[in-house]
Amino acid sequence: MGVAYKAVQWNRQKFVYDLILLTTVVFYLFFFEGMSLQLSSDLDIKGIWIRAFGSAAFILLHVILSIGPLSRLSPKFLPLLYNRRHMGVTMFILALLHARDALAWYHDFGNLEPIVSLFVSNTHYADFIRFPFEALGGVALVILFLMAATSHDFWLTNLTAPVWKALHMGVYLAYGLLVGHVVLGALETNTHPFLTLAVGVGFVWIVGLHLITALREAKKDGAPLFGTPAQPQVDADGYVNVGSVHDIPENRAKIAVIAGERVAIFKYDGQISAISNVCQHQNGPLGEGKIVDGCITCPWHGYQYLPDSGISPPPFTEKIPTFNVKLQGDQILVSATPNLPGTPVVPAVIGQV
Amino acid sequence: MSRLDSQDEFFIGYLGVPPHLKRFLLGFIPVLVLAALAFASILPPLHFDQSNLGKRTKVPEFEGLLVGQPSPHLLVPRTGDVGTGSDFSLYLLSGPGKTSPKPKVLEHVDKWVKLKGTPFHRNHLTVIATKSAEPMAAPTAGPTQPASSSLGEFSLKGEIVDGKCYPGVMKPGRTKTHRSCAIRCIAGGVPPVFVVHNQAGDKLYFLLSDLDGTAVNAKVLDLVADPVQITGEVIQYADTFVLKADPATYQLL
Repeated sequence: MGVAYKAVQWNRQKFVYDLILLTTVVFYLFFFEGMSLQLSSDLDIKGIWIRAFGSAAFILLHVILSIGPLSRLSPKFLPLLYNRRHMGVTMFILALLHARDALAWYHDFGNLEPIVSLFVSNTHYADFIRFPFEALGGVALVILFLMAATSHDFWLTNLTAPVWKALHMGVYLAYGLLVGHVVLGALETNTHPFLTLAVGVGFVWIVGLHLITALREAKKDGAPLFGTPAQPQVDADGYVNVGSVHDIPENRAKIAVIAGERVAIFKYDGQISAISNVCQHQNGPLGEGKIVDGCITCPWHGYQYLPDSGISPPPFTEKIPTFNVKLQGDQILVSATPNLPGTPVVPAVIGQV
Repeated sequence: MSRLDSQDEFFIGYLGVPPHLKRFLLGFIPVLVLAALAFASILPPLHFDQSNLGKRTKVPEFEGLLVGQPSPHLLVPRTGDVGTGSDFSLYLLSGPGKTSPKPKVLEHVDKWVKLKGTPFHRNHLTVIATKSAEPMAAPTAGPTQPASSSLGEFSLKGEIVDGKCYPGVMKPGRTKTHRSCAIRCIAGGVPPVFVVHNQAGDKLYFLLSDLDGTAVNAKVLDLVADPVQITGEVIQYADTFVLKADPATYQLL
């Protein structure tokens, strides 16, 4: 949370996160070079670094893409998500170094500009096996650049979270392009079964993990993965019964789907409040958060909101929609229509009809 | 901010990691890091053709006959008793980068020259990245032209590579990941070379020539780095072979 933009709002966790990340990357690169140099005294060192940068970026991309679904499956992985954007920027820098060196080594010193050579040297765009894999990497790099360049909260705020999220979903397009880049490039040249197996297992892991997570999410929402979900019954006053107060642990929430949107219903201090499940920061799942210091706290990055107004505590200014809520016995009724972001709502008091 | 409730752990980045979660991370993160580092140890030896014998050598100057066709090359007389072997060694010539030798070098074609450059060789294929050439007097003793004889027509399967990267500048200097580079090299005037493996697995190298004995560079760019079959006349020339065929008849396999 912030009231002013800073390059990075450092804290101990981010230092530790980045230290582990960068140390691992540096070790990987020099270990890769060192292992290569054991093989022969007449190696193409530039080629080795191109492969070291490229493989490091591709492995890191698999880690990055795994963190999201793993965090959905278990909150134990949330600390990996906390500073994932630094991992993304690191991956982009590795990909950029790979591209820079490949461009200089394979495309420079010739009769065309290197960037032109990248796209026109091999012109078999209509042939699958002979397809110019370099172009796939080039397009993926542009997507990764756009993501890295807009990774700061400045862009998140100014583009709005839905637009920013949609832009950053481009990582899946980039991943698809990079799988093509690797399969039609490195794997066509290097036919060792381990390499094919590793790329195949990585692809199945990423796709499988996302499918398992999507199925689990759909099950939690009581909705089919594809098709129209069943609509909850709305009473004459426009309220939906979302279950008993006893279903919700103290200082935690239950998530209900109302009118196609997830709503987080929190129980705290003998009261019930309902707010949008979507954090204004990065659209994190507030209903999986917790009341800390009287505030609903997002499990992703710790953004906080007052449960009875959906407003971040001063001096912060984030606002999310609230929902009117009432009790019938122990049953919680939530309005099917959200209030405007930041609208104060009187919490329903448990035991008071 | 309050301290976190140990009975209901909840991670907030700016507050620190709760104890049970910390225990999990202390086990998981080292495994993740070691798995990533394992790839740095597994991947390098699996790379194709990176430990081949191609290398740069330190001979800085050569004396020989500079020839322009079918691709620029230098014919260097062999010293001593060559027995039934060739009287000349043939060294391909490139310029700096992905180019043919500079015009200042090529203006001495068909003359004897002292040639300076950086040689790379792989097996019996040598290329010199030429820096300069100065004319010199032709030797007064020994042969001044290599023998050249037709060995007949052959149909050969192999790969067209650029004659500069393949001998050792790049590893691998062949196949698809190197295709664009090879295309730039050959388009820029580096001699194309046809690499063929015989039944014993030995590598045979062929200079490529059009039917009129001229360079084929511009006509083979679409076939570089792919499996290709070429049918044509094989000519023994110095210590190498020239494969003479119409590039239009080259077949992609």
